Amino acid sequence: MRFPKLHRQQQPTAETQTPTDSKTGTAPNRAASAATRAASDLVAAVDTSRSWHVDDVLQAELCEYELAALETMALPIRLPKIQAKCRSFVFPEAAAWTPPANPKPKANTPPIPADDQKREKPQKGKNKHHRIKPPSDIVKLQDRLYYMLQPPLDLLVGSGQLNFPFEPFPYQLDGMAFLFPRYAAILADEMGLGKTMQAISTIRLLLCSGEARSILLICPKPLVTNWLREFSVWAPEIPIAAIEGNSAKRSFQWQSPNVPVKVANYELLMRDQSTIDELGLHFDLVVLDEAQRIKNRSSTTAQTVRSISRTRSWALTGTPVENCPDDLVGVFEFLSPGYLKPGMPVNQMAKQAGEFILRRTKDMVLDDMPPKLYRDADLDLTPEQWSTYEAAEQEGVLHLENLEQSLTIQHVFELVLRLKQICNFDPVTGASCKLERLVADIDEVAASGKKAIVFSQWVKSLDKIKDALQPYGPLEYHGKIPQKKRNVVIDQFKSDPNSHVILMSYGAGSVGLNLQFCEYVFLFDRWWNPAIEDQAINRAHRLGAAGAVTVTKMMAAGTIEQRINDVLDQKREMFDALFSGHDGPTRNAGLTREEIFGLFDLRAPCGKKVA
Amino acid sequence: MPEDSPKKKPLAIGYFAVVEDDATGWTGGMLVLQPNGRPIEFQCTLPVRPSKAHQILFGPTLRDHVIGEVIGKLLAARCQSKIGLLCCDDAKALAVEPHVRCPIALACEREEESAHNSEQLQVIGNDCPSGMQPVTLAGKTFWVPMEQVPKVESLLPQFESLSDPSEPFDRIRQAINEAHSQLSRPKAQAA
Repeated sequence: MRFPKLHRQQQPTAETQTPTDSKTGTAPNRAASAATRAASDLVAAVDTSRSWHVDDVLQAELCEYELAALETMALPIRLPKIQAKCRSFVFPEAAAWTPPANPKPKANTPPIPADDQKREKPQKGKNKHHRIKPPSDIVKLQDRLYYMLQPPLDLLVGSGQLNFPFEPFPYQLDGMAFLFPRYAAILADEMGLGKTMQAISTIRLLLCSGEARSILLICPKPLVTNWLREFSVWAPEIPIAAIEGNSAKRSFQWQSPNVPVKVANYELLMRDQSTIDELGLHFDLVVLDEAQRIKNRSSTTAQTVRSISRTRSWALTGTPVENCPDDLVGVFEFLSPGYLKPGMPVNQMAKQAGEFILRRTKDMVLDDMPPKLYRDADLDLTPEQWSTYEAAEQEGVLHLENLEQSLTIQHVFELVLRLKQICNFDPVTGASCKLERLVADIDEVAASGKKAIVFSQWVKSLDKIKDALQPYGPLEYHGKIPQKKRNVVIDQFKSDPNSHVILMSYGAGSVGLNLQFCEYVFLFDRWWNPAIEDQAINRAHRLGAAGAVTVTKMMAAGTIEQRINDVLDQKREMFDALFSGHDGPTRNAGLTREEIFGLFDLRAPCGKKVA
Repeated sequence: MPEDSPKKKPLAIGYFAVVEDDATGWTGGMLVLQPNGRPIEFQCTLPVRPSKAHQILFGPTLRDHVIGEVIGKLLAARCQSKIGLLCCDDAKALAVEPHVRCPIALACEREEESAHNSEQLQVIGNDCPSGMQPVTLAGKTFWVPMEQVPKVESLLPQFESLSDPSEPFDRIRQAINEAHSQLSRPKAQAA
């Protein structure tokens, strides 16, 4: 390292000083020559002892470092080709949805069912497609995709590929989308929402798509004609036949390959069970209408139905549970034996069964459904009735108590029935607080040009009511009216302007009838369970109802009827717990043995099985 | 894609869509429908997951590559049905065109059903992409490469019975989701 030399100004020394005057120089010339000589003789020298330089003090040294050269290296990155794997699913090219040309209804005789006459065109779902979704018991991906990749039903309807005489409501398309892929299903819509139409339309889809070729429909006998009529409306191109007639004819009908849909009633089925077995018949689908008929698992009906060889099993019922949750077990024994167990907790049963059940109420799906107005008529018995009632109850309870260990539930039922009959009519004088009220109400109904249905448990009560309501053209529809005359009665009631009231028994009139032109329903006495009552009420409160339906529940205050009503309320809670879909805790609200005895503050005999 | 079979069948219409998912990757589906909307074939890829290197090196072109040249090419090659028209709802899917023997159309709207069953209409773009021209298929607008417009227009009457030509894209997505859910299940449960 070098530092620059410092330049310092030289200080004059004695030798270098120029004399300003000299005693020896006197003349100017001499002085001048002396000066010249002096200038040539003077020599300046550096006094090295007194001088210094930084280089003499600091020894500078130059150091050099050599760095290694940077070497570059190429690192190859091989980018593999992006690989994709593929799965293929090829679906069978089944027949098109479109059935053979749908005959257009003739202008003069439109086959419009009564319940659709005043039906408004439903709003087409704008924001939601009605897709077929496979149930969880279909596990194979190919099968699941087959259903998922089908076009939504609303588009099929919109494109004209599925023809209907009336555009279905969106919830009905959902019902079809629910049924179509299922091998076991319960359609449990509230009465009046069109379970029949949904079942028929789905059957039609199955037949048209080639997924089913032979279908058996089982229903109560009075409803056979109703099913045939509904098929003619919703699926006129599909051949259908009711199994009926003598043994030879029925045998022929069972074997007929040209009729893909056969309709049989429960009673006939039991007679023909051996025929079915002998012929080795197998059905692609068996549909049970009013499937609550098989709630009792050990009944002959249930056993017969379960014995039919089939691929798919559907149950249609508005009341899958009538008395207790175990009713549902009976229906499931037909759908999927062993899936539900008797005595299963309600919550667990609801959870397990949920996948198989579709239940909608009118409140849920129909915005424009007219309201159902309940009017509880709590009536005081007439003095005559009170007198008879109190005597009968005291005597009856005393009798029950005296029975002690031989007391059975049947004895209690007998007393209940006797007391309920007194609440209707005094057996001695015929007095009736209910009848007085009913006559006044029917008079008002008739005066306004409306029609009403009166339900009672007893035909004898209906007979007495009929006598009192003669001015209002009463018609009867109950077990004593022959089957052949029943349709005539209904037609007359619909068309006769002078007939303002029809008297029905719960047994005969609570299912399958469309009486939506009636705006009033009177429950003269109460049935044992609310499901049957709801079915009865929904004869009038259903699709196409003209207006609000007023339901009058007649109840003798402070009597056995009031106590039964309390139990019925509990049953409603139980039903809601099973089908409302919530997971909250529910209490077992079934009609227990203790509760039945409790109607009269009786204690059930300990350890004795109640019949 | 196979050549024309000797047996004369009504032309099918194909739908191609790709589902992107951060967790599973890219899954493509090709649905082939009869003119009445019923399915006859469905091809579905397993999820494709490009590596980090792919993401870095392909950069913004990765999407085009995966959709058009990887997934689309494979699906087109595996498709057994003779397709008259292939519809897609993503402009990137147009890259599959060299691999198919039919015209390709791009939907200009996309409807997606959410988990809550409400549909959201997503407009892919307001302006027709350059080189494409709008055609109306069963009431909905699709964009078609200009040179293919005459051919597509000649095919349109065959597909008029489709009531909603955009809806099948939703079917593909739901089917892919179903396939994913089966893949995520234990093997014992999944079929």
